[in-house]
Amino acid sequence: MKKYIKQTLSIFLVAGLALMMSACAGVSPDKLSSELLPVEGSPLVTFRILLDVGSVNDPLGKEGLCQLTLSMMANGGSKSLTYKEIQKTFYPMAAYVGLSVDKEMSVFTGTIHIDNLEKYYAIFKEMLLNPGFREDDFTRIKTNQLNFLERTLVSNMDEQFGKEILNLMMYEGHPYGHNEAGTAESLQKLTLDDINAFYKEHFLQGNITIGLAGGYPSDFPGKVRDDFAALPEGHTPQLRLPEQRVPSGLEFVITDKGTPATAISMGFPVAISKADDDYFALWMAVAHFGEHRQKLSLLFQKIREERGQNYGDYAYADHFIQGRDKFPAQNYCRQQQYFSIWIRPLTNTNRHFVIRQALRELKKLVEEGISEERVELTRTYLLNYTRLYAQTLGERLGWQMDSRYYGYKSFLDEVQKRLPRITHQDVNRAIKKYLNYENVYIAVITQDAESLKQALVNNAPSPITYANPNMPEHILEEDKAIEVFPLDVKAERVRTAPATDFFQKAGVPEK
Amino acid sequence: MKRFISAALIVLFLLCIPSLLPSSKIFPYDYQIEVLENGLKIVSIPLDNPNIISHYVIVRSGSRNEIEPGKSGFAHFFEHMMFKGTKNMPREEYDDFLTKLGAGTNGYTTDDYTCYFVVFAGKENLEEVIKTEADRFINLYYDEEMLKTEAPVIEGEYYASVSNPGRRLFETLRDTAFEKHSYKHTTLGYLRDILDMPNQFEYSQLYKKRFYAPDNIILLIAGDFDHDQLMEYVRKYYSGWEKSNYTLVTPEEPPQTRAKRAHYDWPSKTLPRLAIGFHGPAYSDEKIDKAALDLLAETSFSRSSPLFQKLVIEEQKCVSLSASFADRRDPYLLVFSATLRDEKDLAYVEDEIFKELERLKKERVSEELLADIKSNLKYSFASSLGTTDGIAGSLAYYINLTTDPGTVNRLFDLFDKVTPEDIQQMCKKYFIRTNSTVVTLSGGKSE
Repeated sequence: MKKYIKQTLSIFLVAGLALMMSACAGVSPDKLSSELLPVEGSPLVTFRILLDVGSVNDPLGKEGLCQLTLSMMANGGSKSLTYKEIQKTFYPMAAYVGLSVDKEMSVFTGTIHIDNLEKYYAIFKEMLLNPGFREDDFTRIKTNQLNFLERTLVSNMDEQFGKEILNLMMYEGHPYGHNEAGTAESLQKLTLDDINAFYKEHFLQGNITIGLAGGYPSDFPGKVRDDFAALPEGHTPQLRLPEQRVPSGLEFVITDKGTPATAISMGFPVAISKADDDYFALWMAVAHFGEHRQKLSLLFQKIREERGQNYGDYAYADHFIQGRDKFPAQNYCRQQQYFSIWIRPLTNTNRHFVIRQALRELKKLVEEGISEERVELTRTYLLNYTRLYAQTLGERLGWQMDSRYYGYKSFLDEVQKRLPRITHQDVNRAIKKYLNYENVYIAVITQDAESLKQALVNNAPSPITYANPNMPEHILEEDKAIEVFPLDVKAERVRTAPATDFFQKAGVPEK
Repeated sequence: MKRFISAALIVLFLLCIPSLLPSSKIFPYDYQIEVLENGLKIVSIPLDNPNIISHYVIVRSGSRNEIEPGKSGFAHFFEHMMFKGTKNMPREEYDDFLTKLGAGTNGYTTDDYTCYFVVFAGKENLEEVIKTEADRFINLYYDEEMLKTEAPVIEGEYYASVSNPGRRLFETLRDTAFEKHSYKHTTLGYLRDILDMPNQFEYSQLYKKRFYAPDNIILLIAGDFDHDQLMEYVRKYYSGWEKSNYTLVTPEEPPQTRAKRAHYDWPSKTLPRLAIGFHGPAYSDEKIDKAALDLLAETSFSRSSPLFQKLVIEEQKCVSLSASFADRRDPYLLVFSATLRDEKDLAYVEDEIFKELERLKKERVSEELLADIKSNLKYSFASSLGTTDGIAGSLAYYINLTTDPGTVNRLFDLFDKVTPEDIQQMCKKYFIRTNSTVVTLSGGKSE
């Protein structure tokens, strides 16, 4: 029987947003917003044009339309200039227009030396306010998007592919449930008329926050605002999302692919986000358990450092995209969030063992919590590490924008204030409240999916093999417990599918 | 909750990215260089930023140093072993130290060097960082079991890497183009050598003795600290370290005398790829060859170039097209690469690239285009200098090549001197059919 999470999160968000709106009385939701970060003397200017629209706004059957439309703006010509002419002008300035599209927000980015601000902005503005939407750009960009799905993601990026399968499993029938690039079937049907219609419907003042940072002239924000005020007033109402489906037991999708290494991602929805008080305690717990690309990660220590199984093993309290270096990227805010574990590729022979090991560690985390010593270590770590999060202009502006979304003046300042007050009990309480080990979606990409399915369903012992014949005794002892760690895997909850069947249509492919 | 926030003017720190006036230096920061008696070189760049320090250790040893058979990938493997701790500070304590510091930390291995960085907040932590890193480099300790446990991690990394056809294409290109030089293999090395790494404990000790020594290492520190204070710490913790005095002689690559070709069959459906490599010169901030070739790469293969516009934007035969003339200590490859939509166009795109190179031998690039390219290179480099880490990371690359940070300004001065005639001459000198290696990769059905 399916269980559902109560959606308290959206209520909090709505309340938070209402509070902020009241602080800005008289401002219509149909008009432009701005986030400004003037930095006196800076020779750079950074743009972040944030759009409160993402892949959830793709019409049914037209998945990928949001990304394709915005890509046409960032990577195509304007009405007055072809893409070729734009590139020729941008080149001497080393200029670009970047784009990222997520479920509920998208952002156009650019950074330019002050020497070139006027010239750059004149083109940047035209690309966004008067896009060319030409046939040749459309063919090129659509083909690239299709190739990304069919040939790159499926063929060359197993780690990302695993994360995308987890997303498909977690959000079947949900507006989050398709890749931002869409599906092969939907993309092939999209036309230039669809692009024009999507732009007209969503590129509205009320959906846009103009983000500017750096050493721009004092009258520059007003000029940008006046230009963008030419867009129609209006906004796209925030989509009321259905409840997130919690998995029934351990639900597997095993993707069959001729690969020497197995990629694994697992997770489940959580009714919490950075906007919630509990987030800080849960974040500390998950940082202890699997901080991204850091040795603090318990999973990293157990799977990689002690056993040399793979390059790394991490966990996340909410949706995470890596930005500069290993720091989190900004402007990927969502109403609904999920907890996840990322196991990097490991040799196929040890796949069953490592699935067991990750779930056993999760069980121990949930049942035993974490020690006071680890809470202190994690607290010290996060207080120092987050001081490195916002170093570039783009990062500082991005965090400023995300802080607004989650209802803070500054999320990073809030971290410095709140983390010292989180107690050991708060952390273990948050673990019990939000994490579990029995109901988990697990995406696996591996060779001979059927044999893994049988091994999982039969709970067959999965001894591990090592190159080192003299592994420490305490590791071997623990291995004995891991290799027979019981997993309640029901055959009907294990789906298998060939890799090439993914992203042809929406959802997990039917066998 | 849409609204205008009239933010108060916040005067925040920003590193001084250079003004790009012709007279100004591309690398504008003052730096000091000191060398200890044992040969350890220190490059110090104090910056007026608030409390962030980037600590880089540049070991001038990479896959270039793997000249013995069966040892490919060893520089990278040894980078992994460098995180195993010492008897003074075992791995767990070292990890805890970095964790408490909240540092951004890692290592990476390239063809020519291996780099270890710790980026942290709080100048009060500088002495502990210097002390801990010095201990790690001088007193690294691991036993055979620890090495055997780490070795399969490399295997996992190799599998993750070669699931990318671009990496496989490049691996095949190097293996085909080079006969003798250690640039023949990538930093990850050959799988057969990776599988033998668990048996290489003794060699790993020899490797450390040869290359992890003060006369082969440069310490690069950028950020909020006092230079004299830094040097006091460095002398205190590094002075007892002994020189290696080892001299590496890399095998000389014989001139290529015939055009080479190879193909890689990718096991699943993927976009077809093409790489064309020519043997080229080593990095130099004095000789015009490499600088002129760098500008040529931009002239003819950047996004604004006629060939890119034709193949990627107009005809849409290619998804991407680029030229990569990496800087290396020894003569390396000038590589043109393309990702195509359809396998049947591989021969056409190859032909177009060769035709473009032939055209460049006959027609000089315009002064206007050359000025645009020089401008692009300056703004691109300047934009990388926005953080202490950006400064240290960018500089580490150049310091590895010559050991001298001044090479950056000399290189950009050299770019300024390159003329259309220089570019034409270099085309004639290097882009010869018998000096070329063409590698293709395809798999699955083409459309």
